[in-house]
Amino acid sequence: MFVPATRPVHEEQLVFKGLKQGLTLFVPERDTFGHWLEVLERQLNQAKGFFQGGAILVELGERQLTPDELAGLKKVLAQYRIRIKGFNPVLRKKNNPRSEKRPPASTGVLLVKGTVRNGQRLENEGDIVVKGDLNPGGELVATGDIIVLGALRGIAHAGAGGNVKAEIIAFTLAPVQLRIAHIFSRAPEERKGRQGPEIAYIKGEKIVVERL
Amino acid sequence: MAGRVIVVTSGKGGVGKTTTVANIGTGLALRHKKVVMIDADIGLRNLDVVMGLENRIIYDLVDVAEKTCRSINKALIKDKRLSNLYLLPAAQTRNKDAISPEQMVAIVDELKEEFDYVLVDCPAGIERGFDNAVAAATEAIVVTTPEVSAVRDADRIIGLLQEKEIYEPVLILNRLRPDMVRKGDMMDVDDINDILAIKLLGIVPDDEEIIISTNKGEPAVLNNQSKAGEAFRNIVRRMEGEEVPFMSVNGEPGIFGRFLKLLNGK
Repeated sequence: MFVPATRPVHEEQLVFKGLKQGLTLFVPERDTFGHWLEVLERQLNQAKGFFQGGAILVELGERQLTPDELAGLKKVLAQYRIRIKGFNPVLRKKNNPRSEKRPPASTGVLLVKGTVRNGQRLENEGDIVVKGDLNPGGELVATGDIIVLGALRGIAHAGAGGNVKAEIIAFTLAPVQLRIAHIFSRAPEERKGRQGPEIAYIKGEKIVVERL
Repeated sequence: MAGRVIVVTSGKGGVGKTTTVANIGTGLALRHKKVVMIDADIGLRNLDVVMGLENRIIYDLVDVAEKTCRSINKALIKDKRLSNLYLLPAAQTRNKDAISPEQMVAIVDELKEEFDYVLVDCPAGIERGFDNAVAAATEAIVVTTPEVSAVRDADRIIGLLQEKEIYEPVLILNRLRPDMVRKGDMMDVDDINDILAIKLLGIVPDDEEIIISTNKGEPAVLNNQSKAGEAFRNIVRRMEGEEVPFMSVNGEPGIFGRFLKLLNGK
């Protein structure tokens, strides 16, 4: 919160909080939006110089804005060179528990028949098995393991969401990038001559590749 | 029986889509097929130039879509060499949004009743122009050159074609340089097949004759001396269902045979 503590408590204020997603303005669900817009304008005016432009998030809860209300909000913020980069980071999290900490789960296997081509992206909560290749420019994202029964040349992200036990297996492992949980790695520039099934997993804080 | 509607596409620009359409169209017409080529590259039309028909354009694709001209036949330009070959040119002063996929379907539906082949020259890119060109097609020829970037784009296009329910596009590998392949400086057919894994329709060697013929507005397929022309004649024969062995481009006998076997084994 940036508001000086000396302010009288009875005066209504809007709350700014630094969340993981960024600085967020909280607009309560009670009262009219017009009321809060006035409060915001006064508040920003008093805190002049605190905001030197920048982008914020706005948390509205269940409140729906009319186009006019939204325009009004943008106008007030624009005076202080503040941009809105998104809405409802808190509400979203509530509705979408995926972004919350969650036990590494394998809920199912997505079987892909054929090649995943450049520009195609497949996601699955659980494992992904491809009966074909993953081509450069193609992307697989699984919360569990990824198995490619062909050549893996694109981007594979296993254990998305934090499962560090996830593995990536391919008959030919020649990826642009490997990602397991939060760890990213590029393949060494020259990996010719290494053919045959390989497995990638996390060891320590690194992704290691071994022959299967 | 309605004719075949084939889109020639690539994703990347400059790999030889227009040249391919001109040569295949001419080649099919030489075999007495009734062929119409549609230039779907509105705003950047070239097919008329490559065919040497630029000065005959009166109406174009957009005029047909907007019904500015009374009938589709008014806009069709008869080739100056072959009487069974026609061109429906693109508009030059408009852009891709000037027609919709639905209009394209309507135009092609009319044409395919009258022609054995409707060839659509697709613009580069994956936006509206691509959507228009692909809308009415039931078959696709993907053109690529032996460069990593072109192959990547071809791969993307094959994925997009599948979304449009064209599941078995075929490949033309254009501008292959046998000398460079031999030295290992150029991707060879196997490398490309590894990635794209679709049926090969033909390999066209890099050939100066193409540049000359493009500038003259005379497709190379008409020139019996041209290597590329020969490749296009073979492609046309394969399109017509003939089994034609692939030209040995890299000097090692059997490598293309091996490739063929690989394909047939599938």
